[in-house]
Amino acid sequence: MEFFDMPDIHDGESLNDFYKKLLNQVPDLIFKLVWRPSNFYSVAFVSERVSEIFELSVDQFIGETEIFFEERLFPEDKDGFTITLEIARKKLTSWHYEFRVNLPEQGIKWMRVSAKPELHPNGSVHFYGRVSDVTEQKEYEKKLQVSEERFKHALQAASDGIWDWDMCKNTVYFSAPSMKILGLEEEETIIPLDFWRNRMHPDDILLHENARKAYFEGDAPSFECIYRVLNENGKYRWVLSRGKVVSYDDNGESTRAIGTHKDITDIKEKEIQLANTINIIGSQNNKLSNFAHIVSHNLRSHAGNLKMLIDIFKGAEEEEKEEMLTQLEAISDGLYVTIIHLKELVDIQFEVKIVKEKLNLRHYLKNILNILHNEIKKHGVNIEINIPIDATVNYNPAYLESVLLNFTTNAIKYSSPDRQPMISYDFEMIDGQKALSITDNGLGLDIKKHKNSLFGMYKTFHKNQNARGIGLFITKNQVEAMGGRIEVYSEVNKGTMFKIFFNEED
Amino acid sequence: MKKIESLYVIDDDKIYHFLFKNLLKQNGIDVNTTFFCNGSDAIEHIKENKENDNSPDLILLDVNMPIMDGWQFLEEYSKVLPLLNKQSVIYMISSSNNEVDINKAKCYEGVVKDYYLKPICKEDLDKIFIL
Repeated sequence: MEFFDMPDIHDGESLNDFYKKLLNQVPDLIFKLVWRPSNFYSVAFVSERVSEIFELSVDQFIGETEIFFEERLFPEDKDGFTITLEIARKKLTSWHYEFRVNLPEQGIKWMRVSAKPELHPNGSVHFYGRVSDVTEQKEYEKKLQVSEERFKHALQAASDGIWDWDMCKNTVYFSAPSMKILGLEEEETIIPLDFWRNRMHPDDILLHENARKAYFEGDAPSFECIYRVLNENGKYRWVLSRGKVVSYDDNGESTRAIGTHKDITDIKEKEIQLANTINIIGSQNNKLSNFAHIVSHNLRSHAGNLKMLIDIFKGAEEEEKEEMLTQLEAISDGLYVTIIHLKELVDIQFEVKIVKEKLNLRHYLKNILNILHNEIKKHGVNIEINIPIDATVNYNPAYLESVLLNFTTNAIKYSSPDRQPMISYDFEMIDGQKALSITDNGLGLDIKKHKNSLFGMYKTFHKNQNARGIGLFITKNQVEAMGGRIEVYSEVNKGTMFKIFFNEED
Repeated sequence: MKKIESLYVIDDDKIYHFLFKNLLKQNGIDVNTTFFCNGSDAIEHIKENKENDNSPDLILLDVNMPIMDGWQFLEEYSKVLPLLNKQSVIYMISSSNNEVDINKAKCYEGVVKDYYLKPICKEDLDKIFIL
């Protein structure tokens, strides 16, 4: 088999010259190296380029090859040079090696040698190969490596993961830190998009969809979304995901998007904690401000009376003074009762730790109904209880008694004279929250009209001798202090239903 | 200057009724005074007497009261006003120094003449009764 036809040389040029010229056009150094069984290497041929590549003449390189070894080749690369050469020779495999040379003119250069060995029948091995200057390439590689390392370490330090979404295949490359967020092995992976998406918190899916839409429809300069993903331990981690489309197909459809993941769970949890704290402080502040108004108003009314009384007492006739003293007593009594009520409110609102116990609801209701036995009998009240025998609530005993007592006495107090009073107690679970409804068939009230003042202090809605108004106010405070709430449904002359939501979350 | 002949005091505090009566007496203010314990009783009374031109010259109105408070009374009063022969001068007199209440009273300009904080003294009476 022939590689070349005989070249067509017309101008008397020798074949040798022809190949020589041709070879000199090659920027690489071309060489032939021969090893003989006497364990001796010699350079059989080297192209003119040797003067550029090693700054040695052809004769020098062939005749005094040791100059290359001693004065050009980097001492650190010498061993590698000879070892790889020997291996290639023994195994008759291609020889590849990168090494540095220190050239008198050009300084330090990176070279790459590639050669193919051939075994001859006499046992000698002939290498045919080339040496190329790879200094520039090496520098690029080094720069790239530095830049990649910088990138990698910066992301690692920032605990950021990278995602790279192939939108055609719908697969995503996730870097090791991304997998760490999921609690999986810290190894980069390419997986279907759904693998990640299926772990997204159900409540965040819509939010994520909207963020994507906003970006794709041009409303947002980049995709950005904070959501939760389920990790291997069954816990949700908060993730900040950001990204951009980086390539499009001919139709302008996005084909690839790249972005980062950041685990912001710690920040997010602190943020939530802070928001809760602010809520608590806010509501405490509100209560405090309400309380200040209550105190101011209620004490002021008594103090005002007292001042007026003293003013007119000074100018009063002797026989009038007797009655004024009676009034003084009334003021004093009123003041006393007010202070007791205020004290009660302070206890509810500012008690930091209210002891909660597991209480049997039915048992507590029975106790209250026993206490009210005479009242119930007197009014002929029909009581109906739909509470499971084992229903319990985690509540403060005194509050539970107070709440049940207040709503029951209320129901009796505002019963209709036109029909037999009926009170029904129904226990139910509403959205995982225990609730007790206390329903009567009494006078009822106009919810719309009294909506804002129903639980206000000293509000009464009926012309009833016993109506004091403080009861509902205190009850509401107690229920709220336990983390629950009250709902009211009422219709005039039909009846009223108070629904107490117990809250046992903590 | 028109003399004040009739007065409604609307306040749920019975002791205040007594004290106010005596305060008027000691200051020599002779006026036909009717006391009501809440807005509802007063508005009913006004409605019943609208035919005989018996609306009071002056109404002293408390804010916090059971059944119908001062604000609810003002709402009702504004409703019946077109049916009345004359408009009463209304002062709000309350223990509430809550700014919300004081500002709310200003919204009733044209109905409520002023807002006084309890206790009421002789000087206040002088201002109220010299119209």
